[in-house]
Amino acid sequence: MRRLLLILGSDVRRHLKAPLPIIIFILIPLMMTGLIGMIFAPRVEDGQLPPIQVLLVDHDQGLVSKLLVGAFDNDQMKKTLQVTVTDEAEGRKRMRKGSASAMVVIPERFTLDLLDARPVTIEVVKNPAEQFLPDVVEEFVNTMAVVLSGAVQAFAEEAKGIRAMLESPLGSISWEMLSPQLGRAQKKMIAAERYLNPLLVRLNTQETTAAGARTRFTQADLFAAILPGMAIMFLLFIVQTLMRDILSERTDGKLRRMMTTPLRPLELIGARLLGGWVMGMAVLLVMVAVGTLVFRVAWGPFGDFLLLGAAGAFWTAAFFALFHALVRNRNQAGALGAPLILAFSLFGGSMMNPEAMPKAFRAVGILTPNRWFIDGAALVREGLFPLAALIVLAGSGLLLLALAVPALRRRISE
Amino acid sequence: MARLRRTLHVAGNDLRMMVGDKVFFFWTLAFPIIFIVLFGLLYKSGDNAPQVAELTVVNLDRGPWGAYFVDKVRSPGVNVTVTGEEPAEYDRLLVLPADFSAKIEARRDQALDFRKRSDASIKAAARVETRLFQAIARVLAELVLYGDGDLTRFLDGHPEFRDLVQVKSGFPANTVTVVPSGFDHSIPGTTVQFIMMMVLIYGGISVMEDRKKGVLVRMLFSPLSKGEVFRAKLAGRWAMGMLQALMLIAVGKIFFHLNLGNLPLALSVLAVFSLAMAALSVLVGSLCAKEDVIVGLSVLMANIFAGLGGCWWPNEIVPPTIRKVGMVSPAYWAMDALHKLTFFQGRLPDILPSLGVLGALSVVSTLVAVRYFRVRD
Repeated sequence: MRRLLLILGSDVRRHLKAPLPIIIFILIPLMMTGLIGMIFAPRVEDGQLPPIQVLLVDHDQGLVSKLLVGAFDNDQMKKTLQVTVTDEAEGRKRMRKGSASAMVVIPERFTLDLLDARPVTIEVVKNPAEQFLPDVVEEFVNTMAVVLSGAVQAFAEEAKGIRAMLESPLGSISWEMLSPQLGRAQKKMIAAERYLNPLLVRLNTQETTAAGARTRFTQADLFAAILPGMAIMFLLFIVQTLMRDILSERTDGKLRRMMTTPLRPLELIGARLLGGWVMGMAVLLVMVAVGTLVFRVAWGPFGDFLLLGAAGAFWTAAFFALFHALVRNRNQAGALGAPLILAFSLFGGSMMNPEAMPKAFRAVGILTPNRWFIDGAALVREGLFPLAALIVLAGSGLLLLALAVPALRRRISE
Repeated sequence: MARLRRTLHVAGNDLRMMVGDKVFFFWTLAFPIIFIVLFGLLYKSGDNAPQVAELTVVNLDRGPWGAYFVDKVRSPGVNVTVTGEEPAEYDRLLVLPADFSAKIEARRDQALDFRKRSDASIKAAARVETRLFQAIARVLAELVLYGDGDLTRFLDGHPEFRDLVQVKSGFPANTVTVVPSGFDHSIPGTTVQFIMMMVLIYGGISVMEDRKKGVLVRMLFSPLSKGEVFRAKLAGRWAMGMLQALMLIAVGKIFFHLNLGNLPLALSVLAVFSLAMAALSVLVGSLCAKEDVIVGLSVLMANIFAGLGGCWWPNEIVPPTIRKVGMVSPAYWAMDALHKLTFFQGRLPDILPSLGVLGALSVVSTLVAVRYFRVRD
């Protein structure tokens, strides 16, 4: 046991003397988590969307078109839609360059046709390179179209009066004759106010989870959802790098020289496995610490998470012990190891949310440690004990260990 | 001419060695294809779809207004399912309460519960929500038109709402005519990302190993000069990037009907981009002495550049500040040029700024790589 601990201590010291690869592999998941978190973080205070660039072309320059332009410019919409009024030639040029999400074109005679209750068409030109924002503009214009249609129909008679006023010289308008019309308009306005202030029917919108419970997703929640997946992916990379010693020591003859000492093969195997597990745990703890301090991630009951981390690191060490017992040389290990890790990570949910994957991919994901670790971490976050994840990781880890030890013994004695 | 031939001979040999490695095809073809499929499906099934947004309406209303309101909600792109009780599973749910009609007829205001699942499509939820607002606006307009009359008789006969203002939407003239598929987005992004990753990793490690094993020094015993060795290494890595780009574009064209607009221009963009990456790989291989460090640095750089450059998600959803930061990524300029070609049928003048930035990056990276290129440790 003493010899095992001596080798372990020596290994750890050696790796700490040249820590650059480990530091880089710790930095990658943290930076990726930071980047994804910053991009997809819920932006509650400024609305859920980034500002949408909209070009507005007003060929009409009339009363109603100005009302429509004003709707784009109200305080609530300003946060979402950043409107630039332009002429059509310039607008089309900018749309061809992809400088805006959409361009809205109000046609000539828009006001006059509408006041005559004739159908009019607003054109929305969408940026083909964008998938989401142009549709937001289109739906907004659709809603404004409904509101305008309703307003024009509700005040059809008054609209005719306005139409006449717009076309006649000011001096020719008989204000006495307008008085009854204005009176009727006032009555309608008062009647409409009953429906509009407050709105007779409005929506009370809530976000729910599958069970129907309310949820509020914060940036820290997003980091907490991403970081475990990234952590297990790069834990696999780091432990693979550390366990590669098994091969390089055999290649450069160190192993043969070590076996001339009173060291038993099992002690050496134990030291390597323990080294992989201890370093894996250390790396995981560094990621947890940075995640907590920088990203404010709440991991749930820490003891449970530590247990899950220990099971994950154990599985990883056992897997790479077996892997390095089976591959022939360092090149083969490098060539097969990284694709295996990336496949685990892709199917296991480290690179994308498993819910968004095709069913077949999700089924493959169950065979990966990533999936069990990520699911376990999610359960711990919710305050639940990750029993299934622990059983699978520890159980399959033990099986891998049982296969790795005799294979490694054979390799050492070759 | 002889110099060029010597340089190309060494570059070709480097390429042959890389292509001879079976794992090379996993990294340059198989793995990127898995990425293309996954991200292509994600683009498709994420916020670009579903084509029809589902809405479940729990109609508990004891009067006729509930059904009338549901009819107003029905519109293209929204599939309404009406039930009598709250289902366990739903994406979006609207509850019409038992007194919905009574409150309308009494002209009393009310708020309807609209619930959307946080894990369901945001785009579909936004579409349904705006259609609900539009339905409310239609009903209110009809109520205003109806005036002070008895609302219990409203449905017996009332002025119908007319969509006087219509909206026609489309894409700019001379650009795309059909909505681009998820693969039109995922293939360029994956190609750019994997050129970065593979050229940096493979190119960097092989330069480092050639130096450590003394291959580069021994080359100088041949008629090759140090400058020719550098150019050969650069050309070999550039050819590797181009080979990968050609393979992925061919797969995209054959299996996913990829449309890159003007193909020669798209290849020019990828050629300049590959040259910048080739120079960076020689630099990384010259500066680093350990394989693990090269792999780590390359994965770090490739992933951060890909994320910032818009290879993984549409740049439109990225906050403006991060979009500006993204301009430091070479991937950003490559993606910008490819987008202009793919989605706007761009021509050379449209992509010149991006090509200029990538060209400048290639020149600077090459000059720095020349400065640090070493044939021995």
